[in-house]
Amino acid sequence: MDIGAPDTEHEIEIAPLEEPVPSPAPAPAEEPVQEPVPA
Amino acid sequence: MSSSAALIEPIVAWRLWHVRRHDDLYRLESFTWHHVSWPARRRFEAECSTHGAAAPVEGHECGIYAFKTRELAEDLLRRYTGVRQHYGRPYQELPPLRQGCPIAIGRVSLWGRILARENGFRAQYAYPYDLFLIGGEDGLARELRRLYAVDVWPS
Repeated sequence: MDIGAPDTEHEIEIAPLEEPVPSPAPAPAEEPVQEPVPA
Repeated sequence: MSSSAALIEPIVAWRLWHVRRHDDLYRLESFTWHHVSWPARRRFEAECSTHGAAAPVEGHECGIYAFKTRELAEDLLRRYTGVRQHYGRPYQELPPLRQGCPIAIGRVSLWGRILARENGFRAQYAYPYDLFLIGGEDGLARELRRLYAVDVWPS
C-alpha cells in the first residue's frame, strides 16, 4: 500500500479516552437445567 | 517530528481487506499480508518481525496501513482487480469481483502511535469503522456485521 514518500512522515500520538472497539458479544443464555421429574 | 501532546480522537482512514473464511467464520484479512486476520471486537495490533510490538517504527515499513482518502483505497482496488469503472456513490456501482473472493473497502479507526505520510498512515492499533462489501451477498454482510459489530453494507 503506497501511502507516500517516507520523508514526508511525521509522528502523531492518539490516546483515546475509550478505544473504538465494540464490547464483546454477550454470552448466549444457558439452557436452564431441568430437574428430574418423577414420572 | 513528534507531536508534543497526545490527541484523543482516533484518526479515521480508509483501507481494503480480503474477506476469507477461517474455520467456521468469515474474517477480515490483511489485503497485502496473506493469512493475517483481524480479530473481532478487539483491537488489531501492529507487529513487526524486527521490532515486535514497537511497530510502527520510523525508517521501517511496519505498522497497520491505511489511506487518507477513499479514492486512494479505490485506486489500489482498481490496480488489484483491473477494474476500470469509477467507484462512486452509491457504492453499488462497484462491480462484483470473482465469485467467492469478496473484498471489503471501508473506514478504519487508528490510534496509538501513528506515523503519517502524505497519502496515509502506519498505525499501532486499528479497528474497522464501517465496511462496504464487494462481491459478497447480504448473508455475508450480516455475518460480518454481527462478528465485528460495525455497519456493513452489501454491494
